[in-house]
Amino acid sequence: MPVVELSYSRLQKLLGKVSKKQISDSLPFLGLDIESEDKDLVRVEYSPNRPDYSTDLGIALGLQGLFGIKTGAIKLNIKKSNDYVIHVEPSVSKIRPFVTGIIAKNGRIDDTIIKQLMAMQEDLHFGIGRKRKKSSIGIHDLDKISFPLRYTTTKRDHRFAPLNSDKELTISEILDNTDVGQDYGAILGNSPQVPLILDSKKQTVSFPPIINAAVTTVTTKTRNLFVEVTGINKDDAEDMLSVVATILQTAGFTLVSTKISGAKNTSPKLEPKKILINSVLINQMLGLNLTNSQIISSLKKSRLDATLKGKNIVCSIPSYRFDIFGQMDLVEEVTLGYGIQNLEPILSPSQTLGQTNPISIKLKSLSLIMIGLGYTEALNSSLTSKRVLYEMTNREPINMISVLDSKSQEHTILRDSILPGLLENLSRNIHTSYPQKLFETGTIFSQGNPVDETTSFAGISAHQDSTFTEIKSILQSALKTGFDLDIETKTFSHPIFEEGRTASISVHGKTIGIIGEINSKTIENYKIRVPVVGFEISLSGLIFD
Amino acid sequence: MSQVFHEIEKKIITSLKNNPKQTPENLEKSTNLSPDQIRRGIEWLKLKELAIVNESQTINISLGKNGLESFHKGLPERRLLDLLKNESKKLQDLQKELGSIFGPAMGLARKNNWVDTSEDKIFLKNYPSELPGEKTLKQIGENKISKSEIDIDDLSGILKRPDFIIEDILKTKEVSLTENAKSIEITTDSSSAINVESKVPDVFVARTHPLKNTIDEIREIFVTLGFTEIIGSMAQPSFWNFDALFTPQDHPARELQDTFYLDGLSAKKIGTSEQIRKISESHKKSWRYYWDINEARKMVLRTHTTCVTIKHLAENKPDEARVFSLGRVFRNEKVSYKHLVEFNQIEGVVVGKNATLRDLMGIQREFYRRIGITKIKFWPTFFPYTEPSLQTMVYNDRLEKWVELFGMGIFRPEVTKPLGITKPVLAWGGGIERIAMLKYGLDDVREFYNNNLSWLRSATKCQ
Repeated sequence: MPVVELSYSRLQKLLGKVSKKQISDSLPFLGLDIESEDKDLVRVEYSPNRPDYSTDLGIALGLQGLFGIKTGAIKLNIKKSNDYVIHVEPSVSKIRPFVTGIIAKNGRIDDTIIKQLMAMQEDLHFGIGRKRKKSSIGIHDLDKISFPLRYTTTKRDHRFAPLNSDKELTISEILDNTDVGQDYGAILGNSPQVPLILDSKKQTVSFPPIINAAVTTVTTKTRNLFVEVTGINKDDAEDMLSVVATILQTAGFTLVSTKISGAKNTSPKLEPKKILINSVLINQMLGLNLTNSQIISSLKKSRLDATLKGKNIVCSIPSYRFDIFGQMDLVEEVTLGYGIQNLEPILSPSQTLGQTNPISIKLKSLSLIMIGLGYTEALNSSLTSKRVLYEMTNREPINMISVLDSKSQEHTILRDSILPGLLENLSRNIHTSYPQKLFETGTIFSQGNPVDETTSFAGISAHQDSTFTEIKSILQSALKTGFDLDIETKTFSHPIFEEGRTASISVHGKTIGIIGEINSKTIENYKIRVPVVGFEISLSGLIFD
Repeated sequence: MSQVFHEIEKKIITSLKNNPKQTPENLEKSTNLSPDQIRRGIEWLKLKELAIVNESQTINISLGKNGLESFHKGLPERRLLDLLKNESKKLQDLQKELGSIFGPAMGLARKNNWVDTSEDKIFLKNYPSELPGEKTLKQIGENKISKSEIDIDDLSGILKRPDFIIEDILKTKEVSLTENAKSIEITTDSSSAINVESKVPDVFVARTHPLKNTIDEIREIFVTLGFTEIIGSMAQPSFWNFDALFTPQDHPARELQDTFYLDGLSAKKIGTSEQIRKISESHKKSWRYYWDINEARKMVLRTHTTCVTIKHLAENKPDEARVFSLGRVFRNEKVSYKHLVEFNQIEGVVVGKNATLRDLMGIQREFYRRIGITKIKFWPTFFPYTEPSLQTMVYNDRLEKWVELFGMGIFRPEVTKPLGITKPVLAWGGGIERIAMLKYGLDDVREFYNNNLSWLRSATKCQ
């Protein structure tokens, strides 16, 4: 989850007469988890579906609603203008077909706002932009650009000075030698042509979705902004634009429209959408008995507009709230506006009778029997390593199931047996007193259709006088007492066990597992200083399906 | 107060009363105890100031090769004197008869004025009845004898001669009773008192895994709240783990860096054709992208047990149900004190036409009450497949802070509708290790899977 750092004093300036405690008590009820606090600063985690909360301006809008300082939807006031024209050329259609944009004038931006805008841009890129693949954003100093602009394509030998560089680079150099080029260049594939925004003086403004030009860099001296979003989907691009537009308007900028045409592109409208909802659904879902006016006031506290129309409530949702899909999302908005702390939990009698799964019951019985026999229960990961599963125990890897790109070397392969893990447990306890007797029941995996999962049961005994007879007695007693099953053992050979001291185990003529004295090489590998005996059987097909 | 003695102590005291000074080896024989028992018994009695151990050194003496020869044939000088007893003899004859011992014997005889030489013959002047060393030789013979029993003056006559005398230095312990102990009456009554105040050895109980105890406890609570347990596979097609739960295919959570994909494994059959069609339509409409069935076929290790529940609901379409699923889930994370790649999760649903968010909160509150947590509150949060979505915060006294536990919400219509589920579905779930950490007071979640026997043997079972 992304994190934003807020300053209580800044929030208080934005909110008016509200105490620090009121703010910190209310942040969680906007869905913001307080991660840490240090005097005036507070770091909160916000959900990626609310990119407007990546800035204190956006959070202040939410808090205003909760405190009742300002309620209802934030309306975008966009001045119509014909001065800011963007022509889209058909060549972009196959690469990144859509562009949209807006002008923000006469604002002031300090370091904090620049920092927050950058963070918001990154969050938008990661979330709705799907790492810039779906849509990406560029914020520019308007006064460095001459309109009209052209959204076009260019060859990879096109040169310009990109952001944070004082010299000109070719597109190929940017893709090969800069961090952003390496991270996002793959979005453009092998296409010889790449998207580009040029101004009327043929000056490069942006090379989407990779990097802006250095010339349009935004600083604290910048007063007028141009925001552009490009992407593969028009609606997503406009959603992204609306978040930035809302925050910039809140920051004191005046919004001015752009005029976009060509290759199926149109000017952005950024208009609210309407969803109908009625009190029956809301009350049914929440278990409350709210009146229409209570519902409308709750929605307004959540910074939406709502009016009664007959029996229904017409809810108007500003375009930056694209996390709202339908009626159930409005149920949540009512909940937040009404206040979760005002919902009293109820415990209605259950209409159903509960039941433990028969497999759980049998595994529990088996555990208790093993404990009665003096064996302690171990728990190991099912995702383990080649070293534990095969190398240390001389077992041959056949049809291993591995996971892709594990961040942990010790967790790369799904276990096909439990015994190797138990042996590894012994190696971690060589300085603890003996005898050491362990058992484990758990899932093992094999390639099948496409993965077969069965429940396996293994036990080991390690002490100076451990013998084959001892471990066979234990297994025999466990299965007899637990499930009235008689076992037979037949001479067998298996790399985990010592040759000549290994047997297969069968019940009613069907082989279910292996038993024996652990191979001295494995014991040596693990530096265990006492002999070890063990068994492993499959419970699937034996005591349950 | 009469003193209480261990059986070992009793035997040693009794034996020492009969035979006041004994070596530990002697005591072994007289008491029939093992060396280890004698060693322990003596230590206990010493601590109680009832026994004294004197460590002493004894030297044992036996005869070497030449000593033994002299024992059997007589000392070299004696044999010389015996040859001359009846007649004087020529030097060459004596040399022939006595061989290598002639030289030293002759030296001694001359020095002591037992013999004299006339022309080429040697004759006896004096015949001593006993020579220095003869008594000692006789006394030792073929045995080993303590040096203290031997006449040191007599011994000195032969002590320095090569290969005559072998000395063995032996360190011995001698155990005796103190004056206090001598007055102790040892009863042999079998029902006599034992030392109930002494420390006893530790024995270790075999036990279920502490985490399993928490799992069982949680399972039982939900069963008694009317929930039925269902079990499902850990390896799942992406379809059930993600697509069916309204997580778009291009969502960051589905990437390799968060989710374990199984190398080269894809499911042939992932659902009914109707399920596949409706879910893909729901995705296309809401998320505006190209939905790829091959992406849905890719096998993953489930990231939550919700995939088991949603599949159950899709197959059974109940109007009224309470089910839960409990088991291992996987996240591709770096292992740390607060993150595991594999952990346990419980996740349950309530289906019913009258199911409300307040019921969901009520079930949570009741569950926490039963595991002993009473200070709870609910906060909003976000999950892709529920709306509204809440999380429970519980107050932990030890950590002195609010800790996030289970998440919950009502399944979105985008989840239920395509699968033909018509009634509201309340869903909740969360990690079990977190609750177990609070219960066992652990700050490192890895402890549960270390299988450290000292911890397994000592973790308090009931808390």
